[in-house]
Amino acid sequence: MLIRSPKDWELPESAATPERDYLLRPRSSEPSFPRRDFLKAFGYGAAGFAAAALLPRRLAATTAGFPTRINPAYRDPALEPTAYEQITSYNNFYEFGTDKADPKVRANRGWQTEPWTVEIGGLIRNPLKLDANDLVSKMGGCEQRVYRFRCVEAWSMVIPWDGFPLAKLVKLADPKPEAKFVTFTTVHDPRNIPGQRSGILDWPYVEGLRLDEANHELAFIATGIYGRPIPNQNGAPLRLVVPWKYGFKCGKSLVKIDFVARQPRNTWQIMAPDEYGFYANVNPNVDHPRWSQASERVIGAGGLFGGRQRTLMFNGYEKQVAGLYQGMDLKRNY
Amino acid sequence: MSFVSKVLRSKPVIWTLIVLPGLWPAWPLFVTMDDTARTDPLKFILLHFGLMGCLLLVSVLSLTPLRVLAPKWDVALALNRHRRLIGVAAFAYALLHFSVQVLYQYDGTLAGTLDQLGRELQKPFQLTGLVALVILLVLAITSLHALVRRLGGRTWKRIHRLAYVAAALVAYHQVSAHKVFPIQVLWIFGPLVVLELARMWKSRTKVSEIGPDDTKSL
Repeated sequence: MLIRSPKDWELPESAATPERDYLLRPRSSEPSFPRRDFLKAFGYGAAGFAAAALLPRRLAATTAGFPTRINPAYRDPALEPTAYEQITSYNNFYEFGTDKADPKVRANRGWQTEPWTVEIGGLIRNPLKLDANDLVSKMGGCEQRVYRFRCVEAWSMVIPWDGFPLAKLVKLADPKPEAKFVTFTTVHDPRNIPGQRSGILDWPYVEGLRLDEANHELAFIATGIYGRPIPNQNGAPLRLVVPWKYGFKCGKSLVKIDFVARQPRNTWQIMAPDEYGFYANVNPNVDHPRWSQASERVIGAGGLFGGRQRTLMFNGYEKQVAGLYQGMDLKRNY
Repeated sequence: MSFVSKVLRSKPVIWTLIVLPGLWPAWPLFVTMDDTARTDPLKFILLHFGLMGCLLLVSVLSLTPLRVLAPKWDVALALNRHRRLIGVAAFAYALLHFSVQVLYQYDGTLAGTLDQLGRELQKPFQLTGLVALVILLVLAITSLHALVRRLGGRTWKRIHRLAYVAAALVAYHQVSAHKVFPIQVLWIFGPLVVLELARMWKSRTKVSEIGPDDTKSL
């Protein structure tokens, strides 16, 4: 009788890392390898460029910093990430159409997000204009964080973002004492961005944060989703992510980050000031004039017909961010 | 009589035209497995039923002006035979739309769902939809043969003018559902407005042709 004795290098099952501690990857069959890794493997020679030309266009975003490191401090096991296909097929990106199906189609019809230059300026000591990939390298690469995402339209997702903390960028910019706010400007290119040829919004799209909000540890610049370069429809190659605010605060495809002294007016506030404010903090007690914000539709939860949950104060980040708004009337500063 | 008008006189044809487009969401949801539609399927169905109700309401309201403006056009006459069916179908889709909305607000508990619905109905956006639904309900009930006879033509007609109020409320409701003005509202309600204006203009010229003085002398 053969009795199998385990070798001393064999580890028991219990020693295995739980699956949720792995880097989150989409559950799709599509090959996912960032272009830069691919180029590295082949060198930057003619063969490399020829190979790059064969790669699907949607991978052509910021690719530095991949593969991502997981940041376990931002991986709440209670949060079940929304499927990659849903995050990348259900987008509000009015630059490419007002229907949620539009951006996935129209943002991938030749609109180039690589190379990409971003300008960091305003009241800072270190103004600079640089390539998005160089910026990511300067920030020390990418980390993955799983955040709740709450749209002002009362639906929500859970998204594994890859990117870097905005505070690092602020530190690099080195703001002067008179800088009190930061504005984030989305690309303006009506020739390649069809929605910008119509005047539905005041282009370019502008968002803003108070400097202390921008310096908060949760504020993030995303360059990827699920460990892959962020798709065009989700705001390639650089997108602001402020998880305790409504989704529209998260400006996409940023070309300019400005440090200013006075509170800027953001695009939706200009459009409808009684409906959208500067702060736009997720708040179940302050309704949108046209619909309730008390609860939200959870995308992808509860099977085909979905689920609904109570909306949390500051989107569940109350403990971390409530201090920023102490003594403020949140009903007036919506 | 043309072939088209012959086909349109048939009840089964109209029934098919009413029911089949309502089933359309099944195509992206289950056949082509469209990722966007499947991300929030209930919302997709909700919006589709709303749009169907809207289109049918506009269609049924267009039939009378069409007949007045083109009294000899056999297609308009054929369609006018189905006014009640199309009107009741508009109500049916509105009811489906509302039912899906209730389901959409369902959070697992009855109390939570009612609370959510109550909050939503305080907003003009949702309230206009509900009022329009109630109007359509009244119109559907008063379309029963027995009731039409009991009410008499005049009263019936007066009640059924509420359909125009419903249409205006639905237009507002549809605009409110969007963050920026939806162009579709113009192509859905625009033709109806044009038809109504044309009808008013036509009946006014008719009245002035006879004129109040002429009627006195008659």
